[in-house]
Amino acid sequence: MSLQYLTDAVASDDREVLIRYVRLHLGDGDEARGRQEIDKAWIEALKPLLALPPADREFIHDTLATKDPATLAHLFFDLHFYLVKRSGEWIHDGNL
Amino acid sequence: MTEHAKPPRAVFVPFMMGHHFGVPFHRDLQRRIILEALDRLIQAEQSGDIHALPVTWAQARREGIAIERELGMRS
Amino acid sequence: MTATSNDREQLRPGLWATVNDRYPGSMITKSDLVPLAGLEKPLAQSRLTFVSTAGVQPKGTLPFDVAHPVGDYSFRRVSSTAAPADLEIHQLKYPTAGANRDLNVIFPIDRLRELVEEGVIGGLTPDFFSFIGYNMDPERLERTLAEEIAEAVVADGAEAALLAPA
Repeated sequence: MSLQYLTDAVASDDREVLIRYVRLHLGDGDEARGRQEIDKAWIEALKPLLALPPADREFIHDTLATKDPATLAHLFFDLHFYLVKRSGEWIHDGNL
Repeated sequence: MTEHAKPPRAVFVPFMMGHHFGVPFHRDLQRRIILEALDRLIQAEQSGDIHALPVTWAQARREGIAIERELGMRS
Repeated sequence: MTATSNDREQLRPGLWATVNDRYPGSMITKSDLVPLAGLEKPLAQSRLTFVSTAGVQPKGTLPFDVAHPVGDYSFRRVSSTAAPADLEIHQLKYPTAGANRDLNVIFPIDRLRELVEEGVIGGLTPDFFSFIGYNMDPERLERTLAEEIAEAVVADGAEAALLAPA
């Protein structure tokens, strides 16, 4: 299997290999940019919560309680892209 | 990249990603690229041949801008 | 690893090696060549299909999965009679500025139909085939997506295929 190096990294808990892969995905092949993108997403997640607006906590609770791990992990990636888009600094223009 | 993938026949265009058939509204260039590729069905002599299109990206863009001006899409 | 040509100027020298270094084993590499299959009839009597990794999809359908870290191994059928206005692109990894103004720069559906009307191409398959280029497991790609499209293209009566990347 061609993703063997990632499977091996999971087995040996090589966290550097795994987080590098995530940074590359989020940074369009640029690991340093990927780090910045991760920070950007979290900053964007913080902003709407500062004023403590009402949030649909029942939806969140039910989703976390009923959905499978793969769906929730996928949602985590989707939320990353949603949040970085909100920041107005969208890096994914295809220029590698 | 094309050399590594080794398609049986290929046309290489030196264009920006996302623009393999040229530039917007440049109908003649878009047609030409398709026809050059389809011509490889007859012209390619051996598997893995890569034929380069003798057009530069700068040229394609210049022509595209001129076409858009004619169409009134640019001032 | 395959040596690249020395007499052709590389636009992005070392790109294949760079990508393969960052994503080990993700880059497709072939050591053997596909035997050339000749056209049995002139192009003007042949049915052509179009296969693209631009991620074009019918408007309003579920977007290709661009968030998934390992990529999307599905393909969509795009009717060869579709108007560009009926199609959309949700992509991250290539610039869509040109395509957003004129889809034909990446998915030349109008141009292909014109060539059929002019008699240059005999006909088009009822559907074209669309997928995305972000799939980091080439073994899975070859085993699933590539095989499925190859079968579908033959089943749909294609006599020639035009393939284009994003």
